[in-house]
Amino acid sequence: MLLHILNRSPASSRVPLDTLRAMGDNDWLLLIEDGVYGAVGPLADEFTSIQGRVFALKEDLVSRGLENRHDATIELVDMDGFVALTEQATQTVSWY
Amino acid sequence: MSDTTDNSMLVVLRHAPHGSSWLREGLDVALVGAALGKKVHLLFLGDGVLALATGQQHGPLGQKGTHPTLDMLEMYDIDMILVDGKALTQRGLTADDLQLPVSLIDDATLPEIFARHSSIYNF
Repeated sequence: MLLHILNRSPASSRVPLDTLRAMGDNDWLLLIEDGVYGAVGPLADEFTSIQGRVFALKEDLVSRGLENRHDATIELVDMDGFVALTEQATQTVSWY
Repeated sequence: MSDTTDNSMLVVLRHAPHGSSWLREGLDVALVGAALGKKVHLLFLGDGVLALATGQQHGPLGQKGTHPTLDMLEMYDIDMILVDGKALTQRGLTADDLQLPVSLIDDATLPEIFARHSSIYNF
């Protein structure tokens, strides 16, 4: 299983489109930095195709004042959770 | 782990020439990998497909561009050049417009390529 890491928001970048196209059926996606904007409101709809396999980094939502605003379909992980995800993945692929 | 694991290096190139140094950085990593004896596969995705358009020149201020580097790939026996078909057509290009012979890949194949490479460098 690959862990894809994305730091671009679907509101301002097309990179998320290619990330989703590259993801395998059991790959996971972690939204970090500006990628966490994709966890809030209607932007989260971009990720419905991978529901249950998409995460957002809590610390980055907190720093952006969006901590409790993430969509229910996207699971929050903190830094330790981030590390745990990388340990479970055979490899991480970063989309910057 | 897919059974056909490919332990060659996959270098994904997603940025266009001239506008930034991402493409050059990615090509450099590919050449270094090949020089160190790794089998290197290239995947051009998104704006990266623009790197292969023929007729590229130096920049207006004499910037070298990356097209000369592409001509060196063969010397490093980097011959697996994969190109995202959708990205090409979105940008009004076809395989005939490209500087190198390439293998076009479709939506179904894209995840498989990522899944089967054990070392992926994404630029």
